[in-house]
Amino acid sequence: MTDSRLMLRARGVTRAFPVSGGKFWALRGIDADIPAGALTILKGRSGSGKTTLLNILSALDRPTAGEVLFDGQDVARMSENERTRLRRRRIGFVFQSVALIPMMNARENVEFALRLARVRGNLSARAMECLRLVGLDKRAGHMPQELSGGEQQRVAIARAIAHRPSVLFADEPTGELDTNTSLRVVKIFKDLIEAEGVTIVMTTHDTGLMEIGDRVYEIEDGEIVHADHA
Amino acid sequence: MLRYILRKMISKKWLFIALLIGNILLTGIAASNPLYADAVMQRMLTDDMDAYLTKKNAYPGLVSVFFNGSVKKNGLIKENEALAHAVPADFGVPARMEVRRYFMSPMQNQPLIERDDAKISSIGLGALEDVAAHARIVAGRMFDSERRADGTVEVIVSQRALVELNLLMGERREFPKLTDADGQPIVIEVVGVYDVSDVEDPYWVRSPSSYKSECLLDFDLFNRLFVREDLPVALSGCWYELLDAEQMSARNAQALYETALKYQEMGKNRQYLTVTVAFSDILKNHISQARRVRVTLWVLQAPIYILLAAFVFMVSRQILETEEAEISVLKSRGVSGGQILSMYLLQSCLLALAGTAAGVPLGALITQALGSANAFLEFVSRRALPVRVGRETALYALAAAAVSILAMVLPVRRYAKVSIVAQKQKKARRARPFWQKAFLDVIALGTALYGLYSFNGQKAQLAERILAGEVPDPLLFLCSSLFIIGAGLVAIRLIPLFVSAVFRVFRRLWSPALYASFLKVLRQRANQDFIMIFLVMTIALGVFNAQTARTINDSAEENTRYVTGADVVLREKWESNADQVAENPSLDLIYYEPDYGVYQTMEGAASVCKVFTDANVSCSVPGGTLKKTLLMAIDTDAFGRTVWFDASLLPHHINEYLNAMAQNARAVLVSANFRDEYGLKLGDVINYWNTDSESTRGIIYGFVDYWPGYAPFTHEKSADGVYRETENHLIVANLSQVQDVMGVRPYSVWVRAKDGAQFLYDYAETSGTRYAVFEDVDAKIVEMKNDPMIKSLNGVLTVGFIVALALCFIGFLMYWILSIRQRTLQFGIYRAMGMRMREILTMLLNEQLCISVLSIAVGAAVGHLAAKLYMPLIQIAYASSDSYLPLRTSVDVSDTLRLLVIVAVMLIACMAILFTIIRRMKIAQALKLGED
Repeated sequence: MTDSRLMLRARGVTRAFPVSGGKFWALRGIDADIPAGALTILKGRSGSGKTTLLNILSALDRPTAGEVLFDGQDVARMSENERTRLRRRRIGFVFQSVALIPMMNARENVEFALRLARVRGNLSARAMECLRLVGLDKRAGHMPQELSGGEQQRVAIARAIAHRPSVLFADEPTGELDTNTSLRVVKIFKDLIEAEGVTIVMTTHDTGLMEIGDRVYEIEDGEIVHADHA
Repeated sequence: MLRYILRKMISKKWLFIALLIGNILLTGIAASNPLYADAVMQRMLTDDMDAYLTKKNAYPGLVSVFFNGSVKKNGLIKENEALAHAVPADFGVPARMEVRRYFMSPMQNQPLIERDDAKISSIGLGALEDVAAHARIVAGRMFDSERRADGTVEVIVSQRALVELNLLMGERREFPKLTDADGQPIVIEVVGVYDVSDVEDPYWVRSPSSYKSECLLDFDLFNRLFVREDLPVALSGCWYELLDAEQMSARNAQALYETALKYQEMGKNRQYLTVTVAFSDILKNHISQARRVRVTLWVLQAPIYILLAAFVFMVSRQILETEEAEISVLKSRGVSGGQILSMYLLQSCLLALAGTAAGVPLGALITQALGSANAFLEFVSRRALPVRVGRETALYALAAAAVSILAMVLPVRRYAKVSIVAQKQKKARRARPFWQKAFLDVIALGTALYGLYSFNGQKAQLAERILAGEVPDPLLFLCSSLFIIGAGLVAIRLIPLFVSAVFRVFRRLWSPALYASFLKVLRQRANQDFIMIFLVMTIALGVFNAQTARTINDSAEENTRYVTGADVVLREKWESNADQVAENPSLDLIYYEPDYGVYQTMEGAASVCKVFTDANVSCSVPGGTLKKTLLMAIDTDAFGRTVWFDASLLPHHINEYLNAMAQNARAVLVSANFRDEYGLKLGDVINYWNTDSESTRGIIYGFVDYWPGYAPFTHEKSADGVYRETENHLIVANLSQVQDVMGVRPYSVWVRAKDGAQFLYDYAETSGTRYAVFEDVDAKIVEMKNDPMIKSLNGVLTVGFIVALALCFIGFLMYWILSIRQRTLQFGIYRAMGMRMREILTMLLNEQLCISVLSIAVGAAVGHLAAKLYMPLIQIAYASSDSYLPLRTSVDVSDTLRLLVIVAVMLIACMAILFTIIRRMKIAQALKLGED
């Protein structure tokens, strides 16, 4: 199932944050390859730099040095507007904390991603299709506050894939969920790769989930200490 | 706990500063209420006393006790003296002076030198305590305080007594019936003539010339000689207690008045005693004025109190909102709801304390501002008001602090109960606010409109009651406030429906950003409702205040100008041969006309005209004679150039009426009630004549509803003491025609001034001209603006307007900054999902439009409507006299502009701050915020 094509390619990526009295190097030269149509896991303790790397890979943040090729284009050299467009069209996000828009119900949340991506056609049908993929089509009319944490996260996933992004980034998507629900979420990721051919990059500190990844990068103090190519 | 609170305050300094401002303003306004009322009342009382002094030329603090003696009651004189002496202590006001006067009514007497020139008048004998110190001897010398060796008593007389009693200097008279203790008849000798030494000396309660049949001797001598029970003639006593008017406190007005009544009552009950209290009418008038001012202050300030309390409530709720998580953490660690409540109570008390400390001085400042208010948003420098912080002020400040604490602690209860679990559930869905479920808004609006309807039905009675000096009905003001609240809330109920309709109708057109912002506006309404209510109320109150103040000022000013007729109306004292006519009634009364040309050639006069008026003219009307008609005889051309007249009051320009009149010497214009009551038509002839039966005919050339100087109706006190409206009738005729028939009688000169009337005052001073009538419109307007009612109105409305704007500004900024801060995570998500910065700004702009701009527009509309509906009623309450002109709501463009500018600055500042916050926001960081 692993596509030989590379979706993302990072070379010599560093990221420094100004702190009082100097700089803190969150990333110290990362080289990573993310294959298309696979589940890549960035693993590490909190503070290891995995989220910083995810932000840079997903064009939310810029590296201090190094290059990130997204489907061949250098994200690091893109303007703010170009990166915004890239995020809108080709990237989906799932965040650790529940990040649904509180005044929209489940279906509207998914639809909203479609609107933002300027998708035309029957938005509602596509939204329902996505909700069905995560098993929540029955609760499409519920407001986020009326859903459990796991359900909210599944809506977030449905929203992240609705506009058929090339890559889905998930930052600790299971961080606030219990083990069973976490497994359920990862199962959904796998299914999505199957059904939609999407590339998924997720961070986690949960060692139990690592077996499931097609590729695992272990990060410590801003460096990749271990790469596992399944 | 205190440390925790202080740390919290420092970390959220902006919010707490806003809360503190709310507290300071609340206490300040509350403290200013009694401070101002007290100060203005004291000023008013002092001014009234001064006015009494200048108008009546008498000392206003006088209490005079008059014992009208009879031979039998001579023994009572000392008893009554004791009563008089108790007066200062009874009133609680020290006496500036006490003057005792004993006297005996004129008695038969015999001259001891041969006098064959005229009759011998009866002479009274009297004594004024300490007269030597207050009198000036104009002829002869002062009396000796002892009897001469031969028993002669020396006396002095006033100039008038010298003439009236036909006395000579050095003349001696003997009183056969008046004997001393040894039974010897009293002999007096006139040794001097006296006059006042200082005209301003209050000692002379009665002027020397009023002692026209009385000779004065030494007071102690009088006492020794005549104050005894066996005196064969009646002895009278008069005690003048001159209470120090400056020390009468307005605060004690009621008590002073009651004491005055008690004394006057005492005088009525004892037939030989009369007590007059000079200041009792001043006090009576003062008390009713004071009530009006107090009620006015309260009703005008009430909405400001409500607004401020709401502001404090809103801010503290916002603070709580940011502390929700902390509270639930505290709760989950076992801190009880009571403990949390007491923590917030402590915090509130600290704030209220600080607010009171700063609020009372602010109150004193506001008091001065109120006192110097000249018109809406206009201050002039006047004498500073005597501000005294007393017990009442402290009471008001404390009450304000209590209200404030309540407003701050009240919202805590809800949060103190909530634990983490409940907090999440609560977030789920907020129910409709209570007032919407209970339809309180509709009820309030309905009540206000019903009030309007019923008050409108009794407008006439309302005016009569106000003119009778009653307190304006607070319900009237309550109605207008209720209308603002009701209409505002109904609008808040309707705004979302409107926004929702817009949203639905154009659903397909919205960009994702607008789509999201509409959903935000429509679905997250709990906090939004509050800021909307707040905006609507403040703006409505601001607009209402502005228009009320403007309209009342303008209409009072216009009425004054209209009734006066021209810039200055004056009439010199005309000399006449009245004295000769009195002696010889067959003579014709002739007036000597002063030089009119002087005024025509004056540099400062733009134009002048002669206006002869006679308010006691009769005229023939169908079915009888109409008396007490006002005749105004004018010179049409000059009149047209001189008068002040609003062209819109008549269907045609006033000059057209004047031109018509000029065509025929007999042409007259008459008031419209001639047509409406008597069916007269154009071209009809009426005869009119003055009290001397000098009669002429007029041909009606026009009917007028309004005319310079003409009051279509007046409220007059009828015999039963009730004020009633009476219609006034007017005939305007050509001056030449009237003078032909009635002769040249004293007419007024109306002057249109180029730039103020100063030149006329200068002329009067240099030429020594004396005026029977001198009305200066500008001076009248200044006087009107000094009226405590109008002054309070202007002051309170202005302060209210400024406070409303300040609150609006702070509340608005605070709400939006907090709202943005709370939504940082959401914006991060939007940005991550690929929303452009521009789109986020569009989103905020749309929110502003739907929430702020709509609220402001609705507020302005509600305020305008309230002013339009309630103004005619409120104006009645402030009319110090009749108002004749149709009421027009004055909208000063500069007020609206000011309001708009302030609102615009507010919006722009707010947006600038919000944009900066958002621009600085890093997506990655924003998302992190959501992680904890």
